[in-house]
Amino acid sequence: MATSARHQIIESLMAPHTENVAEAAIVQWEQLAAQIISIVGESGFNALYARSVFLAQSTFPWLAASSSSPQSDNRFAELRMNLEGQTPAQAIEANRLLLITFTDILASLIGEQLTIRVVRSVWGNDDQTKSQHGVQK
Amino acid sequence: MGSASDTDEIPEPSGPAGKDRPLTVRGKDRRRGRDTVLHDESAVSSRDVLANAGEDLAHLRKWEVRAAETKQAASDDHITMLQQANANLVIATIEAQKLAEQVQSSKAQLDHLAHHDVLTDLPNRILMHDRIGQAIELARRQDRQLAVMFLDVDRFKNINDSLGHTVGDQLLMSIAQRLVECVRHSDTVSRQGGDEFIILLADVEHAEDAALSARKMLSALAQPHHIDRHDIHVDASIGISIYPDDGQDADSLIKSADTAMYHAKENGGNNYKFFEQDMNARAVQRLTIETDLRLALGRQEFLLHYQPIIDLQSGAIVGVEALARWRHPHRGLIFPGEYIWIAEDSGLIVPIGAWILREACKQARAWQNAGLPPIPVAVNISAVQFRHKDFLENLTGILKDAGLAPRYLELELTESVLMHDADAAVSVLKDLKAIGVRLAIDDFGTGYSGLSYLKRFPVDTLKIDKSFMHGITQVTDDSDDAAIVAAVIGLGKSLNQRVIAEGVETREQLAFLQARGCSEGQGFYFSRPATAQKVAELLRTGIEGVVGAPKAPTQ
Repeated sequence: MATSARHQIIESLMAPHTENVAEAAIVQWEQLAAQIISIVGESGFNALYARSVFLAQSTFPWLAASSSSPQSDNRFAELRMNLEGQTPAQAIEANRLLLITFTDILASLIGEQLTIRVVRSVWGNDDQTKSQHGVQK
Repeated sequence: MGSASDTDEIPEPSGPAGKDRPLTVRGKDRRRGRDTVLHDESAVSSRDVLANAGEDLAHLRKWEVRAAETKQAASDDHITMLQQANANLVIATIEAQKLAEQVQSSKAQLDHLAHHDVLTDLPNRILMHDRIGQAIELARRQDRQLAVMFLDVDRFKNINDSLGHTVGDQLLMSIAQRLVECVRHSDTVSRQGGDEFIILLADVEHAEDAALSARKMLSALAQPHHIDRHDIHVDASIGISIYPDDGQDADSLIKSADTAMYHAKENGGNNYKFFEQDMNARAVQRLTIETDLRLALGRQEFLLHYQPIIDLQSGAIVGVEALARWRHPHRGLIFPGEYIWIAEDSGLIVPIGAWILREACKQARAWQNAGLPPIPVAVNISAVQFRHKDFLENLTGILKDAGLAPRYLELELTESVLMHDADAAVSVLKDLKAIGVRLAIDDFGTGYSGLSYLKRFPVDTLKIDKSFMHGITQVTDDSDDAAIVAAVIGLGKSLNQRVIAEGVETREQLAFLQARGCSEGQGFYFSRPATAQKVAELLRTGIEGVVGAPKAPTQ
């Protein structure tokens, strides 16, 4: 159930962006990176991200592996390039999978509840999760 | 929010100033001092006190800022340490996950390797055995049939020997691919090893379904395989067994299919056979022959007989054909028809064929050494020998060892051997011509010869198959056989080739051939195949009264 809440938050990020998919995705990733780096540092984030890309490559082989030591200012340059090279639908699908994979790994390391807190602090609650939160209260 | 005491305690500021000044200023004194400063004390003294107090406050603030900074720095350090620790934990955990995945993947690879053929990636014998077992269980529960097919590529060894193992391997991969394309997803194609494949048709409604699949496979395999600039044509033999009639378990079904496959092969290959119970006895016999064949060379059980070839005008012996016989310790004299196909199939034809060539060459030389007229000896060459990559080299060595001039050796090749890969055959034939041996096309008329190739093959002789002679009963015969024989004689003349009629058994057949200008003949009418000693006698005396007056061999 908790996993599905996390996935719903990610899903809510996808829906509104049918144009400038790559740009929107990069903003989402930068927001997520800022938060994750504050918890596990640059190298921790890079390890998580590289792993996520690797796993997502089996579905989207065109996703390039991140460079060995990505700098903070162009950490997602390759992702941007990859997404821009695809149709919006394909780019959305790949970004969705990448985000879910990333947060799946994070949840396997720090637990689902904490991951959801992190995800909410980055992107805020969608309506549904807000209402769920209200019910819980 | 005043102080609980009358005295504001001020922590000792750092710095030299703290050492020279009082550490406390009493509040009451301060208030009182303000009252009395104008009246009791000098203005200067009051200003000093105030100045000192101000300085103390500044120091105090500075110290507070510094303390806050120190605290913040300590907190930042702590966060950095936590981040680093977290980063290390994340990295270590991900690395551990990767390692676990690698171990899992290696395990899966090992498992795959244990159950699949390395070359074709098809399921191997072990996996196929398992799948047949499962399919039998299912068929038994549902009261249904299944079919097991044993497929063996005809004369695959020829290809391996002539074109090399790399091409052979690529051919096997191509065959595997085509077989997979011929079956349903629920069926299994496996490679048993070598050129043998087993196919499981997990659910067949009727036996005819399996026959349909077999025909489909034979047709798919018969299309040329384009490999390494070669267009390779292959045929296959398929044996089919059906559960539950032909076996109750995987082993017996495979064995039955294998047995049926040998029957398909015995029938000339490129076909399929369903298993029948009486095939078992023949399978045992075949296996016995193969086992005995392996021992025959070492036990010197082979011998050669020679059948004279006669000039139909002069009656002279103008050559002999060497014919191998197998003197089996228990079964007596065995003729080539009974064992040559097994020798070819098992690859034993290569050493047996080499022995025949060597013996024939030695014998031809021995007759010459004995002062007998030099005549060529003809030796049948099988497809496997002809395509063997060392054939030419071995042949040269045999001629040299025997001390026989190459022109006294004639190699007899069938049309099917030459036409199998006609372009390659032309090349080998040219090499053979270059060393000086004579070449004959054996059993001419029974196979398929492209006339354009016939012109390109540098052959000296056409040998008319004996089956055509059977139909000729009189000199003026106008049967189809007679027409074919006459046509071949004409063809030989046109291409400036010798024509030898095989299987001449009657005076009428001889007369027919003579009337049409056939140059040479061979058959029981002149002489049965005979020992080397008997042939030596014939060479001395000639064969009496065959074409008229007895004639000694031409010198």
